Amino acid sequence: MNNYLLSIENLSVDYITDTEPVRAVNNISFGIHTGEIFGLVGESGSGKSTVVQAMMRILPPPGLISNGSVRINGEDILSASESNVKKFRWKQISIVMQSALNALNPVLSIREQISDVLKTHKDLVGIDAETRAKELLSLVDIDEDRLNSHPHQLSGGMKQRVVIAIALAIMPPIIIMDEPTTALDVIVEREILAKIIELRKKLNFTILFITHDLNLLLEFADRLAIMKNGRIVEIDDVENIKQGGQHSYTRKLIGSIPSASGSRQEGLLSKPDSLDFPTTPLIEIKNLRKTFQSPGLFNKNKLTAVDDISFKISEGEIVGLVGESGSGKSTIAKLVTRLIRPTSGTIYLNGENKQVTEARNVPLEYRKIVQMVFQDPFGSLNSIHTVYHHLSRPLLRHRLKSKDELFDYIIKMLETVGLSPGEKFADKFPHEMSGGERQRVAIARALSLKPQIIIADEPTSMLDVSIRMDILEIFARMRKENNLTILFITHDLASARYLADRIIVLKNGSIVEEGPSEDLIQSPSNEYTKQLVNAASPGWLETIHKNSDNKEIIDA
Amino acid sequence: MSKSILYLVRRLCFYLIAGFAALTLNFVIPRLMPGDPASIIFARFRGKLKPETIDAMRQSFGLTDEPLLMQYWSYIKGILSGNLGTSIAYFPEPVSEIISSGLFWTIFLAGLSLIIAFSLGTLLGIFIAWNRTGKLDTFLPPVLAFLGAFPYFWLAMLILYIFGFSLNWFPLSHAYGNEVTPGLNLPYIFSVLYHASLPALTMVFVSLGGWLLSMRNTMISTLGADYITFANAKGISSRLIMLRYAARNAILPNLTGFGMALGFVLSGALLTEIIFSYPGQGYLLLQAVKAQDFPLMQGIFMTITFAVLAANWLVDIAILVFDPRTRK
Amino acid sequence: MNSRTQNSNIFRRWFDGILSNKKALIGTYIILFFIFIAIIGPFFIQSPTEFLGTPLTPPSTKNLFGTNGQGQDVFAQTISGARQTLFVGFTTGILVVIIGALIGGIAGFYGGRIDDILSLIINIFLVMPGLPLMVILASWLPPGPGTLLGVLVLTGWAWNARVIRSQMMTFRNRDFVSAAIVSGEKNIRIILVEIMPRMLSLLASSFIGASIYAIGAQVGLEFLGLGDISTVTWGTNLYWASNDLALLTESWWTFVPTGLSIALVSFSLTLINFGIDEVTNPRLISERLWREKIPRNLIKDGVTPVLKNNE
Repeated sequence: MNNYLLSIENLSVDYITDTEPVRAVNNISFGIHTGEIFGLVGESGSGKSTVVQAMMRILPPPGLISNGSVRINGEDILSASESNVKKFRWKQISIVMQSALNALNPVLSIREQISDVLKTHKDLVGIDAETRAKELLSLVDIDEDRLNSHPHQLSGGMKQRVVIAIALAIMPPIIIMDEPTTALDVIVEREILAKIIELRKKLNFTILFITHDLNLLLEFADRLAIMKNGRIVEIDDVENIKQGGQHSYTRKLIGSIPSASGSRQEGLLSKPDSLDFPTTPLIEIKNLRKTFQSPGLFNKNKLTAVDDISFKISEGEIVGLVGESGSGKSTIAKLVTRLIRPTSGTIYLNGENKQVTEARNVPLEYRKIVQMVFQDPFGSLNSIHTVYHHLSRPLLRHRLKSKDELFDYIIKMLETVGLSPGEKFADKFPHEMSGGERQRVAIARALSLKPQIIIADEPTSMLDVSIRMDILEIFARMRKENNLTILFITHDLASARYLADRIIVLKNGSIVEEGPSEDLIQSPSNEYTKQLVNAASPGWLETIHKNSDNKEIIDA
Repeated sequence: MSKSILYLVRRLCFYLIAGFAALTLNFVIPRLMPGDPASIIFARFRGKLKPETIDAMRQSFGLTDEPLLMQYWSYIKGILSGNLGTSIAYFPEPVSEIISSGLFWTIFLAGLSLIIAFSLGTLLGIFIAWNRTGKLDTFLPPVLAFLGAFPYFWLAMLILYIFGFSLNWFPLSHAYGNEVTPGLNLPYIFSVLYHASLPALTMVFVSLGGWLLSMRNTMISTLGADYITFANAKGISSRLIMLRYAARNAILPNLTGFGMALGFVLSGALLTEIIFSYPGQGYLLLQAVKAQDFPLMQGIFMTITFAVLAANWLVDIAILVFDPRTRK
Repeated sequence: MNSRTQNSNIFRRWFDGILSNKKALIGTYIILFFIFIAIIGPFFIQSPTEFLGTPLTPPSTKNLFGTNGQGQDVFAQTISGARQTLFVGFTTGILVVIIGALIGGIAGFYGGRIDDILSLIINIFLVMPGLPLMVILASWLPPGPGTLLGVLVLTGWAWNARVIRSQMMTFRNRDFVSAAIVSGEKNIRIILVEIMPRMLSLLASSFIGASIYAIGAQVGLEFLGLGDISTVTWGTNLYWASNDLALLTESWWTFVPTGLSIALVSFSLTLINFGIDEVTNPRLISERLWREKIPRNLIKDGVTPVLKNNE
């Protein structure tokens, strides 16, 4: 065990509360060899981010390391004095933090944020520092006059690259990457990962890569540790994990990954018996356009979020609307549910023009037919009200049930979405439930009015991977049993393929391609769709390396 | 760059609108009261005034027989050319002259106290938020909050009583002593500072708590941010993190609040001046109230309002300098 | 069937939360004491307006706080003065919060043109300095509590309106509001049932802040002589004390008790606000907890403490 570059033994970390301390990390041990890419996988609450921050002793209060040792090249950072800890930081080990979007100081320029490390650790100032800073930026393919920029002037991908450059500044032997690409769009994410791997080969450092996305690591990691509830349940080589691993949790994680390549997984999805849908569409969007004006009296800036969109959905169909951030998919959700008014265009519901641009008030009838499930399970429920309140309000408002029938009906709805026994959940408040449970409540709320169509806006993106399938399952079942129509909005092409009959691909407010799921995935015609398909399929790493001469992609 | 200029122009427009609103308010209030304001005052003084005085008052109020809009127009023209009417208490002196004598002292006192209180409060706030031993944190905010609960003028009375009357360490009134001559000479400057000590001390005591608490709270919020953890991980010195990373971000919301607090600060200065017979606007205000000198009162209102609007605009410029996100 | 009544639960839970905070509790005790005195006190003391004894006598067994420049009992004056001062103060507080919630709430919820206009009005009132305006208005109007109320509300409503508008805008963009709209809920119902209860802390601290402001400003105006100087309030007490040359005659007892009472009342209200702040933003106290429970020598700047090291 002594040829480990980094060795963690019996690490336990607690959070101090006014009652009992909460144990976030429970006696974990693992080692990383020099030159390895080691992955640490866990869902929310697994403790993986706590491990990482504890390793560098940057865990803020109320954190406390109760026991353990963290050795880098034999020296234990946990037993070091305060001044010696500073010697470890950035020289022995550096970190690319989760959502680099917030890792950079908003009021300092990029130059200042690179040069302060250079000055502190290497005493580099003036021209030497400037040269080194430019070197670092060019390593991550960023133009050197960005040194003068401030963080808010850079895109998400660029900020991430800057943080990587800073992490490399003193060339430590090991770099921790804590969910470095989670907040980025999938294509940008893949490029940055490819860049990281290229840099690793060139500069020869070791990587500890933290993520919730097991799929990602299967592509490029050497060994993996899987964490659950503060403990490590499995450590093994990637090849073994790919086969399914030993632990049941590992197998569950592997099985939760929908794939955008190969053939559709058996048995998980319920297709309708025939793909024949009625010819008159349930809902039709024609030439929908939405422009936003920047706020302020003299502001002339306009943003066209949705640009001349037209599509139809038939009753009983599940249509997947796939796009990255800025594609306009959320705006379309708001337009179809009439939370906002379009600048121009028409919406037909059951053949009728709904006058969406003119009418200021949305008739109650419309609300009964078109319902929505939101992305954030916590945000879409009001923390001060019980589940019962959330489910009863729409029914009372639409006068669908009398007070006596209300209770039984609500219990039934809860059980339909898998919350059993219903009575137990009716009295709960949102914070007393898990993310998955809350989302089920949100779905029950949407279903309670017996709508004809549900707009599901990224319903699983904020849920743990292991339960995403279960939630999509509910949608599939509702379609099968009740002929429910679903517009499934997502950034994840693989999930869309998994659930939807037909896929529409959105980019910068326009539709670039649409067609039956299987056809679109197997043989995409549009360039952008091809990029999406590649990014979602195994082997994306090689595909990117083949395209690495294509500089235009890297402007993200 | 143009985004910044646009922003400043927008803010200027707002202040112009606000200024106009104040002017209009000033115009409207006397005319809302039942009856002719001049006659009301005449009645209050019960024949102690000569008829010519009443006419002069009517004139200075702009209460001619012209239609309302014409009155308004002459009123605006008058204000813009510096004519604020004629004082009643100091009749027949024009209000603008009376005010200009006091304006400097009010701004000096308020400005001095503000700079001290803001700087001290901000620095202390940074320090107690950063310093995790916490003794100062449990002790300072409540004590300063208690001090801040006293009305300005009451604390002024107490301080004047203790340090002026009882201990005789400081002068009891006026902005400078009789023995010095005004001008840019050292004795004069010392005398001015000596006389300003107690009033400034009063104002600092009352307002310190507010600045300290506000900075402390924004620091605590800022310290929870990811970029602080990242800066910590980078291994740079604690002092650097405290100042360049935390404080520089935490101070921004306080700068915005600074502009809004200016109105309060000036009001506090007015009341403090009265106790110390400090020859600023506050003293004038008291005389105006006693004599029911409405032109003077309204003149003071206008000048203080304009001063606050101008100061707010300066704060907007400062924010532009400190926060890169407001520029392009 | 389902017996949970939402609203009483929300208020009760919030209340319990606040009162569990030490600072808020102390503040509440103090202010309740003063309210008690204000209501009950005047029945138990001699008349504050009677000219009893020699003017300007220091505190003695006969006159607990001495006599003022007119020969009146300062103790009685201090107790009687509480009533109107506190009444006007709290009433202003309530009115300001109601107006603020109306204007700020509407501006924040509906946005667009309505917000532009209302915000402009709010900002104009916000930026105008209060005292000079109050002086003018109070001079024109007949002296008395009604005038004070009107003048205080007119100059004080804008601050809270802005803060409430801000919070309303934050909530307006949250998904649970969108979800309510998509289910067909009426706007009024959303504002009153879904959003307002979540603004309890803000409304409470707005009320308290406005009351603090009202008490201070009221006292200031009365000190200038703009209150009804024939009534007994804390402000008029100070007016007379100053008029009767308290400082020159070194009669500290004529102004100290009133001033201390004012300060204690404002301070107790501030304490309650501190408590509300801490409850709504737990980060303000969580570090203190952590500091208490960890051995002092382990706490270093920016370095996570380690308890044991694999021994």
